[in-house]
Amino acid sequence: MSTPFAPMLENLTRQRGVRASLIVSESDGLIVDSNVRFGQDGDRVAALAASLYRKARLSASAARLGDVAFLQMDAERGRICAVGGRSDLVLVVVSDPTANVGLIRVALLKAQESLA
Amino acid sequence: MADEIRRWSDELARDPSSLVFLQLGETLRRQGQIDVALKIALRGLERHPRNVEAHDLVARIAVDRRDFAKAFDEWEAVLRLEPTHIGAMKGLGFVCFQHGRFSDAEWYLNQAAIRGAGADVTTALETVRRTSGGIPASLVEAAAPEEPTPEAPQPPQDPQWLFADLLLDDGQTALLLDENGYVLGGLYVDDSGTDLGEEIGAQLSGISDEVRRATRHLEIGDWRSITFETHDVVVAMAPASDESLIVVAAARTTPLGLLRRLLDRCAERAGRWLVNGGSASAQRRTP
Repeated sequence: MSTPFAPMLENLTRQRGVRASLIVSESDGLIVDSNVRFGQDGDRVAALAASLYRKARLSASAARLGDVAFLQMDAERGRICAVGGRSDLVLVVVSDPTANVGLIRVALLKAQESLA
Repeated sequence: MADEIRRWSDELARDPSSLVFLQLGETLRRQGQIDVALKIALRGLERHPRNVEAHDLVARIAVDRRDFAKAFDEWEAVLRLEPTHIGAMKGLGFVCFQHGRFSDAEWYLNQAAIRGAGADVTTALETVRRTSGGIPASLVEAAAPEEPTPEAPQPPQDPQWLFADLLLDDGQTALLLDENGYVLGGLYVDDSGTDLGEEIGAQLSGISDEVRRATRHLEIGDWRSITFETHDVVVAMAPASDESLIVVAAARTTPLGLLRRLLDRCAERAGRWLVNGGSASAQRRTP
């Protein structure tokens, strides 16, 4: 079944080095829609990315830094980027560490407007 | 040299409009008396606002103070007065590099090279072009108007000022937290001048546990950094030695690439400081 988010996710996953793009519910970590390459465990990525984003948002809010607009986590063998809208939905991208994060960020922030 | 300083000082006292402030300021700068040098240079500049060398002197002192914005303004003033001033072009190239503006750095260095700057500028330029921004700092420092100080500056003894000389402007701040979120070094000062380090540290340190959990389950190796943007600020964090955490924050307008460079420098500083027993001397403050 195709959702209204499918073209947006497909566009994100088409970026070089992107392994998965997902829209997840921040509150429960469940997938709303996803475009995941072979070998990626979408459910696990969704749960962990939502949890990471939520923790960052709550921490930043408690520290009086304001709402988190864009989050990026770099690890040895991968990278997670996430943006949140005004709703409960979080747009998540998992990529190779060598992917162009600047392009991914721009694409995510552009796609975020559709989530609001 | 002490005699000359006394002589120049006396001459300046007798005749405040004397241009001897240029020699006096430069000598004091070289001796590391930066604040005094700046005072003298600014006073001289007030009296000689169209003097190219006065602007150049203030710019070089500003670089020593790592006040790159001031240095940029002064060297721009030099070029307005004397568009072919090679020193100002080299200086602007250096400042642009420090801000991660590599194409601008290349442009200024190129202008200096065209006008006959030395081999150091040519080498730096070649490297800029070859690496598209991955220029080794040593080469660009060679293009700076003055020789770098012979010894690397030592981190300040007071933990609060551990990162002070690395921060580029007032809007930037850096903290070193231990594994429990306690502040080991640095400051986080808000607009009213209040240090929020303890509170910020306690709140943000929890993210690193979440990151560890995520990277372990996703099998993507150890985490290296996490960056998030809020409406007003951009925050970057990285693990440091002894399970500690570096947190760097800057205004949202700060380019992310520049913030990453700052994070790397702070992490390196923190690592050295911890290895040298810095944490033992730090006054831990409970959040």
